Amino acid sequence: MTSRASTERRGSESITSRHGFLLRGLLLVVVVGVVMSLGNVNIGAIGQGLGYALAGVCVFLTYRILGFVDLTVDGAFPIGGAVCAILIVNGASPEVALLVAFVFGALAGLATALVDIIFKIEGLLASIIVITGAYTVTLRIMGGRSNIPLLGQETLISRHSRPFRAWLVEQFGDSMKRQSTNLLEIMLFGGIVIVVLAILYWFMRSEVGLAVRATGKNAQMVRATGINHYLMVALGLMVANGMAGLSGSLVVQQFGFADVSLGFGLIIRGLAAVIIGEVLLRPKSTGQLLIAAVAGMLVFDISRAWIFSALDLPTTDIQLVSALVVLAALGTPRLYDRYKAYRQRFVNTR
Amino acid sequence: MLELDKVSVTFNAGTNNEVRALNEVSLSVEEGDFVTVIGSNGAGKSTLFGAIAGAVTADSGQIRLDGHTITHWPEYKRSQVIGRVFQDPRLGTCPGLTIRENLSLAAVHGRRLSLRRDVKKDQEQWFRDELEHGHLGLEERLDTDVALLSGGQRQSITLVMATLIKPKLLLLDEHTAALDPNAAEQIISLTRNMADRHEMSTVMITHSMQQACDLGNRVIMMHQGEIVFEISGKERYMLTPADLIDRFHSLENAELSDAQMLGQTGTFSQQDLVALTPTSSRNR
Repeated sequence: MTSRASTERRGSESITSRHGFLLRGLLLVVVVGVVMSLGNVNIGAIGQGLGYALAGVCVFLTYRILGFVDLTVDGAFPIGGAVCAILIVNGASPEVALLVAFVFGALAGLATALVDIIFKIEGLLASIIVITGAYTVTLRIMGGRSNIPLLGQETLISRHSRPFRAWLVEQFGDSMKRQSTNLLEIMLFGGIVIVVLAILYWFMRSEVGLAVRATGKNAQMVRATGINHYLMVALGLMVANGMAGLSGSLVVQQFGFADVSLGFGLIIRGLAAVIIGEVLLRPKSTGQLLIAAVAGMLVFDISRAWIFSALDLPTTDIQLVSALVVLAALGTPRLYDRYKAYRQRFVNTR
Repeated sequence: MLELDKVSVTFNAGTNNEVRALNEVSLSVEEGDFVTVIGSNGAGKSTLFGAIAGAVTADSGQIRLDGHTITHWPEYKRSQVIGRVFQDPRLGTCPGLTIRENLSLAAVHGRRLSLRRDVKKDQEQWFRDELEHGHLGLEERLDTDVALLSGGQRQSITLVMATLIKPKLLLLDEHTAALDPNAAEQIISLTRNMADRHEMSTVMITHSMQQACDLGNRVIMMHQGEIVFEISGKERYMLTPADLIDRFHSLENAELSDAQMLGQTGTFSQQDLVALTPTSSRNR
């Protein structure tokens, strides 16, 4: 009977979990806001976090939902960026570039899935093979160049930047002029991320999405239900890496250039985002988990920017700072668990 | 209905560890039959199930189900017409999803997945009615995460899931072996209820002679990858666990090396045979 009692308690928790999540979310917004204003952090960090947010969602989908150790994001992201840049340079609209980048990211995911399914090579190795090959594919897409500038081209940002700046100055005066691009990025990318999350949520809560979620937890059961679980793995990887491609194309439009090495270390960054989001917001439902992954990426970028401004470091130090932030995000929960276990032992022996 | 025609399965072929797990097994299960399968560890019972369900590929022979030759169908495709309950209660349900979500997935059985909402309001009453047969009160807890449930509760849900869309064939692989006696009793009564209600062909592996005699209309015994005897018809209704144990013993006498095959030394006590091996402790 004890098990029933405990599950009922859990049950009542789940009723309030939505409020708890909202509360933690609000608290997080306040804390981050205070840190940003006291630490003099530029709001550009938010725009950057939003650009990378969907790559965080990609890692969340593969790592948490599919239970598939997938590094393909490192390759899908620059491919998405490269495709986007080459399309924009050749006069395509930024929206079309976004969609095509999604498709190319999804193809990278499909490649990993096929290597895994056909050759029975486990995910980690399969994705390393794919990202190694993807490097060349990215270079080929970019016409053999390792960098494509988008100066003077029409991107999502540049298209609206002038009218937006004029509107901002008219409304709030000249002091806002300096932040106009950052604000525009936050609004545009925020909108895009919200729309994409809504579509993704709808997908995850469909029958297909349910099968994908179940595949990550218990593939045997999915097979026993008469569903081709390989198909679900492939579909999950395609959607996830499509997100990475989309993110790549957003970041390229934000930076104003595409670079072959843009995806370097992205998996770690995504992993950090997922862990940060989970630790800070303790999400339960599918929707909450998606939001937490995005919030994690924002917190990652903001805290990194804060460290830069607080310590007055040169931008060339970015990789070490990133690594330390990731270490803090991954390591703190574990250290805390060890501390708790240590304290427990101390109390018991006394 | 289900027909196996000289099905053989060999593991590790061509190596020192070559094991002939199934040796030209032929079996015919009619519509509405409930067959219990007994036999010692390594007798080939689970391999037989694997071959029927598609988890194991047969080296030779043919498997037919409901007029289709399914010998080379992949596992997931066979699962569209075969319901399965595993020995490990964790295998049949998906943790991290609610009871409702698990049942929703089972309700897809054999149909194409759609992009419609995963849980549907109009299915709730159906799920509740099905879960009620288990008498565990699970129908009131549709939104509970399956990971929080006990083995018996999960096994009960698995049984409901396997029969939610009536399968052509139900395979039960020692589905009470990992449960405590109380839970096992409940699952067995649910199994009987299901089999009576749906009148579907069922094959059940069991280690309990009592269960083998209580349930079903046919008993088959497997030994060293072969079906060594079958009891059906009038003889089956008179069958007691003691009779089965005698048959088991006569088998022992016929082949002296059998004690080793069973992983036992010396003779069997009745207790040994009734419980045989606690399968939950077997390596998997």
